[in-house]
Amino acid sequence: MEIREERRDNVLVLAPVGRVDSNSAGGLETALLGRAKEPKLLVDLSSVEYISSAGLRVFLMLARKVKESGGRLALCGLGASVKQVFDLAGFSALFAIEPGVDQGVSRLSS
Amino acid sequence: MNPTRLTVPASPEGLTRIVAAFDAFAAATALPESVAQAAQVALDELLSNTVRAGYRSGETGHIEAAFSASDEALDIHLVDDGVAFDPLARADPDTEAPIEARPIGGLGIYFVKRLMDDVSYERVGRENHLRLRKRIIKGP
Repeated sequence: MEIREERRDNVLVLAPVGRVDSNSAGGLETALLGRAKEPKLLVDLSSVEYISSAGLRVFLMLARKVKESGGRLALCGLGASVKQVFDLAGFSALFAIEPGVDQGVSRLSS
Repeated sequence: MNPTRLTVPASPEGLTRIVAAFDAFAAATALPESVAQAAQVALDELLSNTVRAGYRSGETGHIEAAFSASDEALDIHLVDDGVAFDPLARADPDTEAPIEARPIGGLGIYFVKRLMDDVSYERVGRENHLRLRKRIIKGP
């Protein structure tokens, strides 16, 4: 799947675009886990329409890898549908979640 | 709009065709976005399960999907000819475990139960039948 990438201060911001489902999760996994050693990683989900459990699995793996390597991870830009699935899974308590990219960057920069 | 019905191979490509057919159906019936997105998540959870676990290796099968909508509700009927499997019989996952111990198995079916208003399973002959209903609450 398409993933936009930019650096903001010392934070790497990754923004997947489209739907995260059983079809696209493999591509997302490769792209995100390849960046898991970044010291400060922000995943901007504002361009994600919806996410299924195949996608949540990727975020769980990413969180574990980032933790192992001593980095920091935050998510931002969760739309209503994405947020609902994160809430149902109890994932909203596991991740640092901010409304937008600016807040995510400042949280990781502090 | 007339209901949409299609039959596809039980494969990832077949699943992609059902997702595309649902998109077209949702656009034609002007389904609210929240209803359409919940349904797409449910379809992905159920059908990816069927494609992955419903058939022995080398075995081919078919999935039939039918969508219909009224002012009150979206109805989805899924039929496959894979092994008998009632996804609703599975226990709900622990959604409060710490990150290291968090299970992913079972989460998909849990989403289906929570995102839809009614879900039922029936084994009919050699087929699994799943019926999903999502009530439509029109926005202001």
